[in-house]
Amino acid sequence: MTLNKEQYTAFEDIVGPEYISSDPAILFSYSWRSGLYAPPQDFSPLFEAIILPHTNEEIQAIVKLSNKFKLQFKASSTGWGPYNDATAPGCVKLDLRRMNRIIEINVKNMYAVVEPGVIGTQLQAECMKLGLNCNQNGAGTNCSASPIVGHCGFGHLSQSGSYGERNQLALEWITPEGELVCFGSLGSTGAWFCGDGPGPSLRGAVRGNVVPMGGLGVFTKAATKLYHWPGPTSVELEGVSPSYVPTSIDNHFLIRIYSFPDMEMMDQAQRKIGEAEIAYELMGFNKGMAASNIATSNEEMLKLHAEFSNLLTDFCLMVIIGGYSARDFEYKTKVLNQIAIDTQGKSLTKISDDPEVAAGCMWRWLRPTASIREVFRATGCFAGEVGGTDVFRLMADYIVETAKVKQKMINDKLIFDDGAPPFTQSIEHGHYGHGELLIRYIPNPSNWAGMMDFMAKANEIAIKQHFGVPGHVFSDMQHDIYGPHVMNYHKWLRKIKKSFDPNGASEGSHHITVKE
Amino acid sequence: MGLEEFRDDMTTCCRCSACKFVPLETLKGYDHVNICPSISRFDYRAFSGGGRLGIGVALLDKQLDYSSPKLREIIYNCQMCGACDVSCKYAMDMEVLEPMNAIRSEMVKHGNAPPALDKMITSLKNGGPMLLEGNAGQGEWASKLGVKDYTKQSVQVIYHAGCRTRHDKTRWAVAQQTVKLMQKANIDVGIAMDEPCCGGRAYQMGYQTEAADKARSNMESINKLGAKTLVTGCAECYFAFKVLYDKFGVKGDFEVLHTSEFFNRLVQQGKLKPTKKVNLTVTYHDPCHLGRQGEPYIHWKGQRVPGQLIIFDPPKEFRRGTKGVYEPPRELLQSIPGLKLVEMDRHKEFAWCCGSGGGVIETNPEYALWTATERINEAASTKAEAVVTGCPGCESLFETAIRKNNKNLKVYDIVEILAMATL
Ligand SMILES: Cc1cc2nc3c(=O)[nH]c(=O)nc-3n(C[C@H](O)[C@H](O)[C@@H](O)COP(=O)(O)OP(=O)(O)OC[C@H]3O[C@@H](n4cnc5c(N)ncnc54)[C@H](O)[C@@H]3O)c2cc1C
Ligand code: SF4
Ligand code: SF4
Repeated sequence: MTLNKEQYTAFEDIVGPEYISSDPAILFSYSWRSGLYAPPQDFSPLFEAIILPHTNEEIQAIVKLSNKFKLQFKASSTGWGPYNDATAPGCVKLDLRRMNRIIEINVKNMYAVVEPGVIGTQLQAECMKLGLNCNQNGAGTNCSASPIVGHCGFGHLSQSGSYGERNQLALEWITPEGELVCFGSLGSTGAWFCGDGPGPSLRGAVRGNVVPMGGLGVFTKAATKLYHWPGPTSVELEGVSPSYVPTSIDNHFLIRIYSFPDMEMMDQAQRKIGEAEIAYELMGFNKGMAASNIATSNEEMLKLHAEFSNLLTDFCLMVIIGGYSARDFEYKTKVLNQIAIDTQGKSLTKISDDPEVAAGCMWRWLRPTASIREVFRATGCFAGEVGGTDVFRLMADYIVETAKVKQKMINDKLIFDDGAPPFTQSIEHGHYGHGELLIRYIPNPSNWAGMMDFMAKANEIAIKQHFGVPGHVFSDMQHDIYGPHVMNYHKWLRKIKKSFDPNGASEGSHHITVKE
Repeated sequence: MGLEEFRDDMTTCCRCSACKFVPLETLKGYDHVNICPSISRFDYRAFSGGGRLGIGVALLDKQLDYSSPKLREIIYNCQMCGACDVSCKYAMDMEVLEPMNAIRSEMVKHGNAPPALDKMITSLKNGGPMLLEGNAGQGEWASKLGVKDYTKQSVQVIYHAGCRTRHDKTRWAVAQQTVKLMQKANIDVGIAMDEPCCGGRAYQMGYQTEAADKARSNMESINKLGAKTLVTGCAECYFAFKVLYDKFGVKGDFEVLHTSEFFNRLVQQGKLKPTKKVNLTVTYHDPCHLGRQGEPYIHWKGQRVPGQLIIFDPPKEFRRGTKGVYEPPRELLQSIPGLKLVEMDRHKEFAWCCGSGGGVIETNPEYALWTATERINEAASTKAEAVVTGCPGCESLFETAIRKNNKNLKVYDIVEILAMATL
């Protein structure tokens, strides 16, 4: 189907002719497939039109028209993952890149309000000027800074900067029928400080486990919590891309990658570091990740990987310490050293003995920019987002189990062989964690079939061994698999969808649809 | 093979959007996050590096057709500045700008290049300059300099002024000062009264055959002269002689240097002494074809190793913009007494383009001006009094942008600054 003249003109009247297009050349550029879970097909189904709205009023009008015309719409911010795509004809895309203002950085109350087109780097850079920092999506600071847009929002900074669900404060939302709703304190006082009131709180309902992936209207502004930043107001760099070396991260920072003899010791180290609240970052960081992040090409990555394979076990943690004063730094360093001794953590000398490598890694992980190197440079495609989020050890065990299935794919030569080490990241200095695998592959039919088989097995492990609902669970099919094992949550999720979106206008194939 | 040669590169695009932004490690604030003029101005993904690669795959898959007017609008509203290529290669092992060049070449083959460009190519083929307007005579600019004509007398150093300088009277002073500075340093320099166009811009516009033909014919005559060095003050000519001709396999038996490199050497060697104070705060704009695209060409012929990893046999070293000409102009400016150099947020390999490249100044002057205005505003935000650069294309567009926006900034070629301190 293509939009008829009446439909096109109606949309055009809202945004003006410059900001709508249904020309095939424009449409194909949006349907080029994402590298995340890339299938063998080059293109996803074409949108009927791409619309670039600029205001809430425009979005409301577009959403209402979509309902009227029985069309679907899907919003996107940076549009990276496959969940930004149409899955069938009859859908228009709302590309929100023009809505890119930082509305406010409230230093006193430590929150920022952003539109979805602001990327993580921008918000972080502005926050740092004020002695603050914001969490970043582990995918990288090229993602939206909005805490409800991307995904869960776990990442390098989650130990001190938490993640999307917990960072999200007040929210401005355009429902799938076009109503403007202000959540939390915004709804009653016009202020952004709280996501749960006074005023209506629909946080859990609209957010679900992993944000609704375009399937529940459009989030136009969101407030996100901010955290203290112990570093400089801006970081000076030496060198030229792709090798930058920061020169101005002061001496109150330290970075280590520790390798532990077994899971038990790594688990203990994670808990002790959390209890002592000494880490600015704490993240499972295996040899594959370290090699890809440090190297500036695949050739170099292979060499580093071989080097690290002799030095690192499958149980590693990356730690960054940031001191707010010399004494604070000294204290944290001493505690860390003691924990490393107690848990037999061996420091990777490439990092601890080479200040340039250390500084480079530190900045690349404080402003996470090398995830693209890590997951996409090897093959252009990545599909490791199978992890769950629960007790650190439970998630670590889940990933160890799924890593065995990954190893089988490696044996079958379906994916890049990085030795299948698992990794789990720590959250909020606590017992909470998120595990994932790094799976990189060239998308051809047999590799893709292998991937699908892997996903099915990862689901089976999660369900049969009671690891909970992982973060990759989106779509009817997945929710219908998990729901019956988890208090039939899928039925409630579908009811939420149906209540807010009776016409199914907000394209929900990566969330849930209104089907019975 | 054309575009097909780049299928693997294009299908490696993971849609991460890094090509829209400066390398993210470098950002210091909200502003100046964007690196791609094209998507910044036109907003649809099609106008970004990644979007263009998606379109390339659709063209190969015959899902799109070369004759589309919208396709022409997308493909030619891009300065071919190569910033997307640098930002992508911060992380990835894939080509971005090369396939974009290949798409343009296909557009030309399919007769869907903008007519304004065809006109310039006709001029090139007839031995003329690659300009839509301006024809102020060939060697007239040098008539009072007493400089050798290298086509008639042997010289050590060829000074190639470039079409944009020779045919624009407002640029003559820069060429004249270049020669005077060389004369002051006792350089055995020559120019050609009948200087040929380098043809480099034809390549960016998609006319690869015409550019290669020009490269061959130029090198045939220049190689015979036995000069040791070719110096040019135009970034586009520099790119042509240094990078493109090498790519075409007609690299000369002489060194190619930009005026900033050449004069910086002379200053470092004590052969030129900038002694007069130039009390100015300036910011330096890296021309795309001198900076990121000015890094030497790396010859490679091989293939991707089959399997689950993008590596090559023999190993492929990617041009990532790392080895462009960044330091010599800065060193030269820092050698000028009284002058203070301040950097713009976007500099060196992630400098924002002036706006004129890729045929944009000829095909969409409004967009070229928009791009230059963005740069001028960035320069003004440094509190500099002047923008210094090393390309007549950048200079004239900046001057227009300053005039249209009523800014107080001045624009200088780096040679003019050296001349102020030295002549
Ligand atoms: C390499 C890689 C690594 C990753 N690692 C992590 C990780 O460590 N942690 C993590 O949490 N996630 C991770 N992800 C997932 C990541 O968060 C999303 O893929 C990324 O798309 C987020 O970008 P974005 O925030 O700009 O949102 P987009 O990509 O623009 O959108 C994401 C989804 O939200 C919808 N959407 C976007 N904007 C709006 C809006 N304003 N209103 C309503 N719906 C909207 C879209 O339709 C889409 O379904 C990873 C992804 C990749 C590709
Ligand atoms: S061209 Fe490179 S930077 Fe741009 S989206 Fe594709 S992979 Fe990312
Ligand atoms: S070459 Fe320059 S203008 Fe063209 S897509 Fe790349 S960054 Fe944008």
